[in-house]
Amino acid sequence: MSKETIKAKAKLVIVDDIDTDQIFHQSLLTIHDPNEIKPHIFGNLEGYKSFGKEDNVGKILLVGKNFGKGSTRQQAVTGFIAHGITAIVGESFGPIYYSNSVNSGLLLVEVPGISEFKVKEDDNLEIDITQSLIINQNNGETIKCVKIPQPVLDIIEAGGLLKLGEIM
Amino acid sequence: MTSFTLIEKIIRNRTDVSDSEIYPNNIVWVNLDLVTARDYAGPQVIDLFQKNYIGSKTFNNEKVIFTPDCYPYGNDPKHAKDQEKIRVFAKEHGIKVTDLGSGIGSHLLFRRGFSKPGDVVIGADSHYNILGALGILGQGAGDVMLAFALKTGKSWIKIPETVKIILKGDYEWPTTAKDLALYVLKELHEYGITGKAVEFYGAIIDKLSIEERVTLCSLITEASGVIGFVPADKITADYYSKIGIEIEMLSADEDARYISELVLDIQDLGQYIACPPHPHNVKKIEEVMGTPINSIVIGSCTNGSSADIHDAAKILKGHKINPNVRFGIVPATREDFVSINLNGDMTIILESGGNFFGVGCSTCAKGQYGLTGGETAVTLTTGNRNTQGKIGPADVYLASPVVAAATAIEGKIAAPKEVVKR
Repeated sequence: MSKETIKAKAKLVIVDDIDTDQIFHQSLLTIHDPNEIKPHIFGNLEGYKSFGKEDNVGKILLVGKNFGKGSTRQQAVTGFIAHGITAIVGESFGPIYYSNSVNSGLLLVEVPGISEFKVKEDDNLEIDITQSLIINQNNGETIKCVKIPQPVLDIIEAGGLLKLGEIM
Repeated sequence: MTSFTLIEKIIRNRTDVSDSEIYPNNIVWVNLDLVTARDYAGPQVIDLFQKNYIGSKTFNNEKVIFTPDCYPYGNDPKHAKDQEKIRVFAKEHGIKVTDLGSGIGSHLLFRRGFSKPGDVVIGADSHYNILGALGILGQGAGDVMLAFALKTGKSWIKIPETVKIILKGDYEWPTTAKDLALYVLKELHEYGITGKAVEFYGAIIDKLSIEERVTLCSLITEASGVIGFVPADKITADYYSKIGIEIEMLSADEDARYISELVLDIQDLGQYIACPPHPHNVKKIEEVMGTPINSIVIGSCTNGSSADIHDAAKILKGHKINPNVRFGIVPATREDFVSINLNGDMTIILESGGNFFGVGCSTCAKGQYGLTGGETAVTLTTGNRNTQGKIGPADVYLASPVVAAATAIEGKIAAPKEVVKR
């Protein structure tokens, strides 16, 4: 991943208040292998239950408000990494989900007012980390995102928090 | 001299950075007072620790506790193996275990004095922020953060902005702390506290017991907030003095910078219920009165204390549970179980047709008590989550122990006042 920009196609799951139980259901908690987690992602989210079987490798996932609220479960992050999702962009995230993602090396980008951003499935998006901007290359729309804090970029750059722990 | 909110002050006392680094949205490393994990996530934390830090010791074995509280004793070979993994690792590293039957970890932390006001604690439980009720910065954390913390004794936190909440007025029984918590959740979800901390103030706070404060703070997670604090006061100090611990009453500075201030009028607050499909879908109980219910659980870190069970026992005394209802009680801790034995509440509930199912968590995850399997099992719990499909395929309502008891008698959502009058 380049540090300055990320370019990828958009995958839309614009639903507010998606709970971790809708991402990865509690009945599956004894599953920990990323490849086994993968097919169950959004398995309890009406309208998106086929997500687990789709190919969304390399895409940027667009979500709504309070994404990942609910339980502390790491699998709700691991599953998107297994799918090869590059980053998740949303209006806001559950605080535990935010740290779980960063710790696993998955970038989350907060965008206040994301519902105003005109984007269609598979539009080509660019996240400009330096300028804190998201650009839709298909229609030229841009929107400001919250500046990604440096420690977050450092953890992601290190390959996740556990790597940092080796030297602490 | 800079002034600080409560969370800023707690973080400031537990970090190596200077005061100029303590401001909202900045990310800082904190030195943890305690790291815990349980039979859910704990085994994965151990796996990650052993895989990434081969041959390492934990940062301080006296600052780690394993609190298996999720799964019952020997109900599933996979869970039994996970629980054993915790015991083996704990023995090897000299770590304390509050084993099955002890209770919900977050509750044991204050009941047994493992944590005190001003401490920073993380665990594999998204409701660890109930510890805010005692002025403890408790946070839920995922497997990766916990494995890292076991090794380093540190975690990172994005310092949240704080909303000051003033609860204005008073309410009367049968309105309880759960109704207050549900009403506050409804208001805060609408107001928007994602990623924010809140501090509760108001005359009502002086009347709330520790258990009631825990209930009030327990639904902040459901509004995507970081934590709700009741700053430590005389009630907190008295609570800790009973277990021989002297505390510091840490409070926010008078001129602390809050992002906003919200006054919530709770005068003559009625009774509230969270309706499907989200905890924040809170309505006045009158709107759903009469809805048939056939599975009821009193328990969870929100409302599983002996005081909660006592509330239910008062309603149930001399009544029978409706034959269409399965009614289960799961006390939060062993101490709560002992209390309801001593005061006779357990007998009252058993005679009314209620059932007891051990001690610990309930209605929250696979393998726990209180889950249902069918489309026809409509549930009411005193817990904190009713997300679609979590407890079972059918609808789930969240309400107070008094509403749960009244509903158990009627077989449909009922107000306690009506039941008691008869």
